[in-house]
Amino acid sequence: MTDAIALLWLPLLASIMLVGIHTYFGMQVLARGVIFVDLALAQLAALGGTVAFMLGHPAQSTGTLAWSLGFALLAALLLASTRRLSSRIPQEALIGVIYVVAAAASFLLVDKAPQGTEHIKQILTGNILTVGGGDLFTIAPLYAAIAFLHWLARERLARSASGTSSWLWDFFFFGSFGVVVTSSVALAGVLLVFSFLIIPAAIGLLYADRPVIQLVIGWIAGAAASLAGLAASYAWDLPTGATMVCTFGLALACAGILRPLRRRSMASLKTAAGVLRGVVALCLAASALWLTLAPRSDQPLLDSFESLAPELRAAYMSASERAVYDEADVYADRHRLQIERLNTIEANSRWQGRALDDFEVRRISSFLQSYGEMRKGEEFVKREVRSRARERSRWWLGATLVLLALLTYPEAAVRARRTLRVRRQL
Amino acid sequence: MTPRAAFALLLALLIAPASPLASDATAAAPAVAAARLRVVATTTDLQSLVEAVGGERVAVTHIVSPNQDPEDYQPRPQDLHRIKEAALVVRIGVDYDLWLDRLLAQADVPALKRGGERYVDASLAIALLDVRGSAVGPGHPHGSGNPHYWLDPSNAEIITGTLLEALARIDAANARYYERRRIAFLDRLKLRQQVWTQALASLQGVPLIAYHNNWAYFARRFRLNFAGYIEAKPGVPPSPAHLAQLLAAMRTQGIRIIVRQPHEPEKNARFLAERAGGQVVTLAASVGAVAGTGDYLSLFDHNVAALARGYSGSP
Repeated sequence: MTDAIALLWLPLLASIMLVGIHTYFGMQVLARGVIFVDLALAQLAALGGTVAFMLGHPAQSTGTLAWSLGFALLAALLLASTRRLSSRIPQEALIGVIYVVAAAASFLLVDKAPQGTEHIKQILTGNILTVGGGDLFTIAPLYAAIAFLHWLARERLARSASGTSSWLWDFFFFGSFGVVVTSSVALAGVLLVFSFLIIPAAIGLLYADRPVIQLVIGWIAGAAASLAGLAASYAWDLPTGATMVCTFGLALACAGILRPLRRRSMASLKTAAGVLRGVVALCLAASALWLTLAPRSDQPLLDSFESLAPELRAAYMSASERAVYDEADVYADRHRLQIERLNTIEANSRWQGRALDDFEVRRISSFLQSYGEMRKGEEFVKREVRSRARERSRWWLGATLVLLALLTYPEAAVRARRTLRVRRQL
Repeated sequence: MTPRAAFALLLALLIAPASPLASDATAAAPAVAAARLRVVATTTDLQSLVEAVGGERVAVTHIVSPNQDPEDYQPRPQDLHRIKEAALVVRIGVDYDLWLDRLLAQADVPALKRGGERYVDASLAIALLDVRGSAVGPGHPHGSGNPHYWLDPSNAEIITGTLLEALARIDAANARYYERRRIAFLDRLKLRQQVWTQALASLQGVPLIAYHNNWAYFARRFRLNFAGYIEAKPGVPPSPAHLAQLLAAMRTQGIRIIVRQPHEPEKNARFLAERAGGQVVTLAASVGAVAGTGDYLSLFDHNVAALARGYSGSP
């Protein structure tokens, strides 16, 4: 536990700071309808970084930073000036074009200097897990300064969002956003920064009308989702950035589902529950249909039920089938252990005790291959036994699933009876 | 080995120490200038080994630049052109350069197909490590193993043997020339290998951490102990639990060196090094990936020196 805290408190602090500034920018971005603008700005900053690299500036030097920021500001200028011009083309299209051209151009540049691939990656795929204290000391004053400037210019910015002010204010907005995105993407990566930007802001919009309250709700939701993501990635041994993006997505889904609760009326709660039950019933009915049509193919619902509670297999497998299945399972596991044992012996012999000669290494390899094939064979037996049992019992299994579907959503039966009655009367 | 080849080998053994390579190279130069064999190797390591055997009679190009990840290389139109023109195509195999299959299929030259006389899979007869027994598809009967086998200098003997056979097959007139060059190269390699083994003797069994599992063959030859990897699955960033585990291992086992390649993210390696008190050593897994690794021998010179320096420099 102390290990987890020692490792995760800096990433959590960084996430909270990033959520802090990005929720605000996210609200602005949603208001202006330029959802993917952060990707375009980040990609152009990466292109600038690549140019700096080609000119011989080392990564993370002032020269590289200057080139990155210069390109991000160039993108801001382009975005601000085209906002008024593009009455025929939506601005989102131009943003997409800037993104793909910048991405392709940096690949072309890197093609001339292979070492540069790592350079582009460094700019665009940060790792929130390995942020250092030094990173936070750089971004904290920067974000505070930008937030302060935006607070001073809040009325102008509101007018520019609705398109009734000079393009210079648009440039100020996109430019400062470019500065923020260039720094945050290097820390957290493109995917996570996009989540920080859009999801807390969207949750805020769902639950409040006043901007200040939207902002506060976004902050709370973003901080909670960050904490949940970091904890989940530690507990289940998952890559941190990807896990956090998923918890943010989950947070938005929950917020959407729970939104009717806000009005505290039973009717809206009932509607929400009804929709949920409907979806579950639909899934059950669809897998009943799929099972009767193609019992031997993947059955996602049945497979996940069985992996949660293997005892469920007893319901449709005969005793002998179960014995074969379990035996194959035991053997597959035994082969896996053998493979691990041999691998350990070989790996340890590289530096410990007597070194194995090529002949012995090849012998181990051929044993490994045999065990691998045998394990595959056992897996095949398991799959085949299960498929046959499912094929045999698909009718009553399907019927059970349909029954479950009807139990979760009885309205379907009522409605069907009503339609039948109406037809008969006609 | 046929009697004729055995005789040639014997002859080469007798001649090689006596005649310096330069003299027969210059003697042959005017004739070969017009008729150099065009060889395309997928990586710079193979390029260097083909040059070691082929000398003045081959013109070798590589497809993937060092420091690019050969496993997700995207072929270019020029590659197809070069392959069609090639007298010999040499690949790493072991699922390392799978994209070459598509290029060869597109080139549609029977002699360049798998098993054709101008096709060389350098992994032939190598004792592969980390075999997991999972064949990727047809044409990969050995199943995938760890593909970084050129990082064991002893494997160069097998690889150059395969190359010699291929060169002698398409250019039988110069078979002796290739044999002499190969033997001279292996002599130099053996001398260097003694030096490398000595330089790394103090590191035997000392636990190290690598960014990615590229060093299995290198470790086996020089008896190094890679106790953990930052990226256990290629392309998947480490989870916090995995990093915590590595940190704990670094503290309990006293691990001081973290090995990375120039194209692997430095940030994660540095993160571990800063927290557990170690240092990051940058090694080249391919010829040319780091300055001063211009050929196969200097690749090892650099790596051995960097590791030894990292070890003696650490507290």
